[in-house]
Amino acid sequence: MADYTNEEMQAVTIARQIKDGQIVIVGTGLPLIGATLAKRCFAPNCKLIVESGFMDCTPIEVPRSVGDCRLMDNCAVQWPNMRFIGFITNEWLHDNNRMIAFIGGAQIDAYGNLNSTCIGDYHNPKTRFTGSGGANGIATYSNTIIMMQHQKRRFMDKIDYITSPGWVDGPGGRERKGLPGNRGPLMVVTDRGIMKFDEKTKRMYLAGYYENSSPEDIIENTGFDIDVSRAVLIEAPSLEIIRIMRQDIDPGHAFI
Amino acid sequence: MNSKVYTLSDAIEKFVKSGDYVCFGGFTTNRKPYAAVSEILRQGQKDFIADAGPAGGDWDMLIGEGRVKAYINCYTANSGVTNVSRRFRSAIEKGELIFEDYSQGVAILLLHAAALGLPYLPVRLMMGSDLTDKWGISKEVRKTIEKLPDDKFVYVENPFNPGEKIVALPVPKLDLAIIHVQKASPDGTVSIEGDEFHDIDIAVAAKRVIVTCEELVSNEQIRKNPDSNSIPTFCVDAVVHAPYGAHPSQCYNYYDYDNQFLKVYDVASKTQEGFDDFVKEWVYDTGSHEAYLNKLGAMRLIDLKIVPGLGYSLITNKEVTK
Repeated sequence: MADYTNEEMQAVTIARQIKDGQIVIVGTGLPLIGATLAKRCFAPNCKLIVESGFMDCTPIEVPRSVGDCRLMDNCAVQWPNMRFIGFITNEWLHDNNRMIAFIGGAQIDAYGNLNSTCIGDYHNPKTRFTGSGGANGIATYSNTIIMMQHQKRRFMDKIDYITSPGWVDGPGGRERKGLPGNRGPLMVVTDRGIMKFDEKTKRMYLAGYYENSSPEDIIENTGFDIDVSRAVLIEAPSLEIIRIMRQDIDPGHAFI
Repeated sequence: MNSKVYTLSDAIEKFVKSGDYVCFGGFTTNRKPYAAVSEILRQGQKDFIADAGPAGGDWDMLIGEGRVKAYINCYTANSGVTNVSRRFRSAIEKGELIFEDYSQGVAILLLHAAALGLPYLPVRLMMGSDLTDKWGISKEVRKTIEKLPDDKFVYVENPFNPGEKIVALPVPKLDLAIIHVQKASPDGTVSIEGDEFHDIDIAVAAKRVIVTCEELVSNEQIRKNPDSNSIPTFCVDAVVHAPYGAHPSQCYNYYDYDNQFLKVYDVASKTQEGFDDFVKEWVYDTGSHEAYLNKLGAMRLIDLKIVPGLGYSLITNKEVTK
């Protein structure tokens, strides 16, 4: 086994999905580490934006919140948060295709619908979470890459609450609900591999697995039937990439 | 002449009423009006309808002290320290809090709609999710709470695009906004440095507005730079000079969040008993914002000062361990 953690592999995988020049909606945590790594190594011209309204961010020290002064003092424009939602809506209205967003949750179903609100009944929950934050608006108007911990209790046939819609219930599901049909989740990046969504059925399938995992391991840890016939082994990160992440991007080990 | 300057206790006593529909400025751990929140806790006002926006420890403390009648949530956490604010979480898990959920986009647009004086807000957000399919507060309960609209939202047809279903939302009628800012003058002119968040919107929308500030500057001085001013005198009822009034949250150009303090709160707020001890020590027993600052100590506050050009204190993350 190579010398890196699952979280580092997840961050590298995030970074590899970002295309040069893309507008990247990030939250704090692993997506920010991954996006910062992308800007540094793979996609130097990507532009980081956050739901609090800071545009084109180049944080020096790892921020702990999307409203952090570490972002506010190192961005191109400080928009009030309402302009963020207006901007991502206009990206859809203009039919632009240059934006990618990273969101996460506690539970996910086979169609990429996400729960970041509660476990159990909404009114009498076993566990209550923050609620939507920016995720619902982002999932409405932007293509997304979903970050998850890959566990059976999180990958479920039916999630307890839909905070952020994915492909809803399959082909045409978004349109039927009044959501933009040409936006939705592109993939799920976990600590075991990458899941994508079948073009015809919109169901999740295994596209790739890390060397610490295997198709069998992923079937074992997924709570719904998942097709693994298309899965390939994902290349391990180079020593140099791991070094940059540890020494330059998150030296305080805030998130990795 | 024409001074709106109050002491913190006088401002809270005069302008904060039990039962108010309240919104605070700031964003989770940034520019939250903590000094004002602590004074509300001391004075005892309660039964608030909370339009919490991107909230953190500010509303968590008011929930923990049982001062909230209905909580309109979109996100409540001291991000990076406490993933879900703990008194908020506990109150909902125990069925002790009446709450509603909106997306942050909708919550923020609602405050802007209120500032623009719009009759309602039409959006294409929250559709296809339980934010529309499930109501935190039922119509029946809403009818018993005077200040809450009877509906969370209604579906309407877009009058300009027949057949398109959209979400129409009632605009909140705020009684009170409290914001913490960098500079204000005695006549109530306000200068927010860095991101305004939703602070200008709530200052326009609310019937009563309290501004706490790092620096109280003269009316003449603040008018020298109207390009950096944010809110005019007539939108503000009270100006309070409260240095470090956002502690333990951040204040752009002034100080970083106090990570160590946020961690103490994180641990304390795990239980009601721990929380009770925390507010006794840091809110009630201190008795005033000035005594609270003295208890924190000069060096601690100096260490939190941001490094110009970086936007953060070099000390803060030295304490960060995984």
